[in-house]
Amino acid sequence: MKFVENQMKKIGGLFAKGKPLEKFFPFFEAIDTFLLTPGTRTKKAPFVRDAVDLKRVMVSVIIALIPCILMGFYNTGYQIQTAKGLEYSFWGCFGLGLAKVLPIILVSYAAGGFWEALFAVVRKHEINEGFLVTGILYALILPPTIPLWQVAVGISFGVVIGKEIFGGTGMNVLNPALTARAFVFFAYPAQMSGDAVWAAVDGFSRATPLAVVATAQKGTSAIAALTDAGYTFKDMFLGFIPGSIGETSALACLLGLGFLLIAGVASWRVVAGCAVGLTAMSLVFFAFRGENSMAFFNLPPYWHMVMGGFAFGSIFMATDPVSSSATETGKWIYGILIGMLVVLIRMVNPAYPEGVMLAILFMNVFAPLIDHFIVQQNIKRRRARATAK
Amino acid sequence: MGSFSIQKGRDILLKGAAKKEIVTIPLPKRVAVQPPDFNGLSSRLRVKVDDHVKVGTTIFSDKGVPEIQVASPASGKVVAVNRGDKRALLSIVIETDGRQEAESRPKFPREKIRTLSKAEITDVLLKGHLWPVLRRRPFSKVADPHLKPKSIFVHAMNSEPLAGDVDFILQGREGEFQAGLDVLKGLTDGDVHLCYAQGATSKALTQAAHVQTHMFSGPHPAGNVSTHIHYVDPINKGDLVWYVEAQDVLRIGSLFLSGVYPTERIVAVTGEGAVHHQVYAKTIVGAPLSSLLGGMTLQQMRCLSGSVLSGRDVGTGGYLRFYDSQVTVIPEGGKRELLGWLMPGARKYTFSRTFLSSFLPQREVSLDSGEHGSHRAIVLNHVYDSLVPLDIMTYFLIKAVLAGNVEEAEQLGILECDEEDFALCTFACPSKTDVGKIIRDGLALIDKKDSV
Repeated sequence: MKFVENQMKKIGGLFAKGKPLEKFFPFFEAIDTFLLTPGTRTKKAPFVRDAVDLKRVMVSVIIALIPCILMGFYNTGYQIQTAKGLEYSFWGCFGLGLAKVLPIILVSYAAGGFWEALFAVVRKHEINEGFLVTGILYALILPPTIPLWQVAVGISFGVVIGKEIFGGTGMNVLNPALTARAFVFFAYPAQMSGDAVWAAVDGFSRATPLAVVATAQKGTSAIAALTDAGYTFKDMFLGFIPGSIGETSALACLLGLGFLLIAGVASWRVVAGCAVGLTAMSLVFFAFRGENSMAFFNLPPYWHMVMGGFAFGSIFMATDPVSSSATETGKWIYGILIGMLVVLIRMVNPAYPEGVMLAILFMNVFAPLIDHFIVQQNIKRRRARATAK
Repeated sequence: MGSFSIQKGRDILLKGAAKKEIVTIPLPKRVAVQPPDFNGLSSRLRVKVDDHVKVGTTIFSDKGVPEIQVASPASGKVVAVNRGDKRALLSIVIETDGRQEAESRPKFPREKIRTLSKAEITDVLLKGHLWPVLRRRPFSKVADPHLKPKSIFVHAMNSEPLAGDVDFILQGREGEFQAGLDVLKGLTDGDVHLCYAQGATSKALTQAAHVQTHMFSGPHPAGNVSTHIHYVDPINKGDLVWYVEAQDVLRIGSLFLSGVYPTERIVAVTGEGAVHHQVYAKTIVGAPLSSLLGGMTLQQMRCLSGSVLSGRDVGTGGYLRFYDSQVTVIPEGGKRELLGWLMPGARKYTFSRTFLSSFLPQREVSLDSGEHGSHRAIVLNHVYDSLVPLDIMTYFLIKAVLAGNVEEAEQLGILECDEEDFALCTFACPSKTDVGKIIRDGLALIDKKDSV
């Protein structure tokens, strides 16, 4: 340890003010504090500080994502196996998936990390750990067949347009990972949607559960349509269905949620709000189902929750503290509206079978407005108190 | 009479509380008067090096209101006048001669105090050099005798980590304390609010007369002045409130009863670095920390006048600040750990639940001066809310200040706060944001704008 410390001190000299590598200090700072906890001391009150720092927070989000990542590896392989009609062993599936997914994760980190670092150097601020989460979140919401160059283009857009032009970490209005996803979704629809992109086998196509229900004949039972297509609730809950890499398993997302809530990193209000909103909205549709209404109308809310990206989106994307509402009441409103919008987009909008990404991005835009009204309440209370006397 | 149970906030269970025992410390060889302690005063020096002074001799006066004067707490000789940038006065050091000769002032019998007029009381306090114990909110500056406060708060509890127990200090001191309260009552047409901790037993507090009493319980900052004012008589724009520390109420009482500038200060000597000296030390205002620590040689230790949350690093050679009644000695930090962000952390102290320690039984902790992280943009904006018991939206308040939006900061209640109210936020912030400094800068901006 002492050895590492001394080496870093030696190397650090090259990055000091006035030294040749001064401009690249953010790189040194990132690596130095990655290896060793910073040795800085407090100069002013408070003289003692909490042991937690942003690295620790971001690392706990990544730990929470581990079930989704592992499931993503396995399921990608599993879908290839099903498509080809072959029998692979557990490790066969896992290995196959790993070979598909790992390059996507690495490209996402490399391309996004490049922009992070570039902006850090130009703007002379530290490289923020938040990118460790953005990079992996983005990879997990892509289809496994996406060309790697699109991965790179997408994350570049997400980091630069979604975050850096607003002033960098902490200032962004939109969730950068979702911004990146939305960009590739609209720019390269052929590789991002449809029935052919979810299993990494050429020429194979299978409709996702959402597509099955959306295209089911009017007046038929949604659950029957799903069963006909070979989707059971259990498979959808566990995640053995085609879909984006990391979001197919509601169980893996719930494990992650458990960890996030224990660690106190994510807001339970947002997640609960999403679930409440989705339940309420789908019950409304359920109540108004008619003989000739879309099959979606008779789909119970708990099926909605295990389909598409809802579990993943509401747990890992909507809870992003920077782009969500920052007030406690606001978080409820923000969450509930996301849940409602998800159902609305899934059912009423024929163009997109999935609505989670757009619902969250839409509410990201409205979060500051929600907060504004809640802050105004505080101001009004204070004003009322002043005039009461 | 009110009773308030504060829910938000958190106590830091530091090691090294002071034993409930008052130990009288011999008169120190040197004492200091430090003008930077007196927020809002601009000092005009009234002595020179080698001047002989008595207890109660004017050391410096305010340029704005020359009647406000600060006195020497000891008799002896001025040996040093220390200045900093732009020749700002930092400290005036007095070598004590051990005789403690005092300037004499008029004294008043107990019963006469209540008959004195506001002008008479103001005059006695100003000439008796005790006026600076009165401070004002907003801005936490020394009070201006020409302004009228809507009420006066007596700060008779302290919830900061390891802070001295005011109730214990006031045991058996009800005579002087009540005299002091009577003086304060004579200073205002409004109420005098005495705020103390639930469960206090000293007669000085429980039998206090002619004042409104309020009891507070709950975690820190239940004992902060801002918390008391916020719940009892909140500050709206244009309001002015004065506050005074309980020990200074004793001094006010003593000035009127004895006619001598009172210098006594009971200091809780705390912190794990102050081994063998963790007691309540009876000393004088402006005493050097070394006299309280028994001349211990402290290596790799941080010596603070005040608490870990709101104190100042004065070093082993430093002196007690004017308003402080606590000294804290904690170990220096800065040890680097390999891959610290990845370790389970069974021995880390945190308000968050990101370390294993959060799930182990709570015990007294040892905290050092390490910052435990690097500065980053604010990402987790929900950590502050559970630590501030005031109806203040901390995250939006600091955003308003950072954006330079003074008007919105006022609307969001910055005038009700002081930087110490956000010390817990700074403590807990994962991005290591100095929230208190942002608030201080915001207040300074408003103060400057208003005084122009």
